[in-house]
Amino acid sequence: MARVLEIIGKEILKKNRIPIPECEAAKTVDQACDAAERIGYPVVIKALITVGKRGKAGAVKFAGSRTEVQQAAKEILNMTVRNFPVDQLLIEQKLDIAQELYFSITYDSTRKMPVIIASSEGGVDIEEIAEKHPDKVFKVHVDPIRGFEQYQAKELAAGLGLKGKQLAKGTVLFWRLYNVFRDYDATILEINPIAITGSGDLVAAAILFGADDDALYRQPDLSERVESGSDRSWRPLTDLEKQMVAVDEADAYRGTARYTEMDGGDIGFLCGGGGGSLLAFDALLAHGGQPANYTELGGNPPQNKVAGLVKGVLSKPGVKSLFVALNITNNTQTDVLAKGIVQAFEELGIDPAAYPTVARLAGVNDDEARTIASEAGIEYYGDEITIDDAARIMCEKMKSMV
Amino acid sequence: MGILVNKNSKIAIQGITGREASMVTKHALAYGTKICAGVTPGKGGQDVEGIPVYDTMKEACQEHGIDTTVVYVPPAFAYDAVMEAIGNGIKTILIITERIPRRDTAKFLCAAKEAGARVVGPNSVGILNPVDRVKLGAIGGDNEDRCFVPGEVGVVSRSGGMTAECSWMVKHAGFGVSTSVSIGGDPLIGSSPKEILELFEADPQTKAVVMWAEPGTAYEEEVADFIKDGGFTKPFIPYVAGRFVENMPEGTVFGHAASIVQGSSGRPSLKMKRLKEAGAYVADNFNDIVEHLKNVMGRQA
Repeated sequence: MARVLEIIGKEILKKNRIPIPECEAAKTVDQACDAAERIGYPVVIKALITVGKRGKAGAVKFAGSRTEVQQAAKEILNMTVRNFPVDQLLIEQKLDIAQELYFSITYDSTRKMPVIIASSEGGVDIEEIAEKHPDKVFKVHVDPIRGFEQYQAKELAAGLGLKGKQLAKGTVLFWRLYNVFRDYDATILEINPIAITGSGDLVAAAILFGADDDALYRQPDLSERVESGSDRSWRPLTDLEKQMVAVDEADAYRGTARYTEMDGGDIGFLCGGGGGSLLAFDALLAHGGQPANYTELGGNPPQNKVAGLVKGVLSKPGVKSLFVALNITNNTQTDVLAKGIVQAFEELGIDPAAYPTVARLAGVNDDEARTIASEAGIEYYGDEITIDDAARIMCEKMKSMV
Repeated sequence: MGILVNKNSKIAIQGITGREASMVTKHALAYGTKICAGVTPGKGGQDVEGIPVYDTMKEACQEHGIDTTVVYVPPAFAYDAVMEAIGNGIKTILIITERIPRRDTAKFLCAAKEAGARVVGPNSVGILNPVDRVKLGAIGGDNEDRCFVPGEVGVVSRSGGMTAECSWMVKHAGFGVSTSVSIGGDPLIGSSPKEILELFEADPQTKAVVMWAEPGTAYEEEVADFIKDGGFTKPFIPYVAGRFVENMPEGTVFGHAASIVQGSSGRPSLKMKRLKEAGAYVADNFNDIVEHLKNVMGRQA
């Protein structure tokens, strides 16, 4: 999923005739003040980052004058919200809110179709709404071929208690929001709240917009403006993670690798596949080990890429060992993996026989892999043991080192 | 027996002329699988490993009475390929293609449901029935017998790689599999674990099922309810991976795209609890699969 910045999401809504508060982005305190003058006081100042729950983190403030804007802008620009440093602000018209609605669209894995969730009790998390007012949460599944008909939007608006002109406004708003969700290949579109203003207008006050990474190729309004896969990290990439992205992209079409640094730990972790890596990580923890990083490898990577990854994994401060475990491969050549690992040790000038290493590599060409690894002094296992066994052996090795 | 595919399946491969699809065709034929036809627009009249290629599914169906298809076409064309299969009355559709836009998947899954067609995938590594030596997809590579030996245990997995590893664990425990099914790691897939269990329940050859599960989605909770309601009555051995993800910042994805924990939803620990309460033989450690299998299969015999 690619998280879309709030201002980009709001521009898209505006383009599709959905009312939003007047807003501008600002990178400095001066820009924030000028924007506020143009918009008119009072204003809301928000950290413009792709992280949710900014209000709870104190990264949303109100200002009624230039002095207040200066102070709030300065404070928020100095903040780091859930590990993301704030480098931009969203300056927004403060709405006169009479009531807040909750509205979201996402995909339901069980029913295999889009689902709209809405409530008349907006402004707080949907989990909280569902707990306090379960009777006020409406769910509507949408047939992805026929789409969301206006009458369904009207029924939803009526269910939320909208009457008169607001019923008409809500109907059109909900209908247009679904069309944006569909047309822009969103995976989530959450408007919380939809503000009903004192003058009776419905405005998309705060939005969360996640775009489908796999559809960016057909979304020119989004593809250059979002970071693909931004739900795969909970903080900006570290320097080592950036280096590993470069290693992966140097040969982008052969094999994939994803590298994440963990806090602390002493076991260098290079494992295979989306499933096998989860198992290997859990198994190390279960046997008392502490992985220092998480490297997920797949799709037959070339030797150089493997070597680059291993060097990265071992270069993290505190790493004292190497754990390699893959599921029995269908297609990935284990001899190439073994060569890559040996190459990394050579280039680092480390003798693998003297460095705690466990490699469980079974599958395509594993006879060669066994020879290559064993000759280099790496403790090698094929399918005579399970991944769980390999993790236990690794952890026993770590304990005997102390 | 087994589920989804057998020696009577009339199989076509859409996108057969691609590099991976033609290699997989070669492996499947060598394993003993009968493949009737390939479909690649513009390449009609050619052949791949001796299998005739047609421009349209319609021609392939007329010539061979196709009832099962494997979709290997690139993501941007996958929607149309699946609709072509549905439109020609194909009832079993396996989608190997990864990275299909979710909107497209939602649409063809809806169309398949209306047409009474079963979809497995997208992003599946395949289905393998070792009794009949039928396999669809890359599952097993060129050495299927290493992991897949004939037997009475069903395997269903959200991970492609772990489909083979779990099947190998069954062999390691001294048993074999009836059918192994990789259902795909995407958030929207054609056959959920519960829907695969319905098939295993009805299959007389299958005496027990091993399941590989991951964080995210409500599939495992759905399975727990299904067992409680008496929908699945055979011994059931699930392993839920990714417990460490619960201690990572919320909403971070490790592994497959569907593998996401948000609030209390998608948590492996809660999935395990629900499955245990439903009477499943939950494997706390992956190795426990072996012990559980020996216990339940011993009792069966």
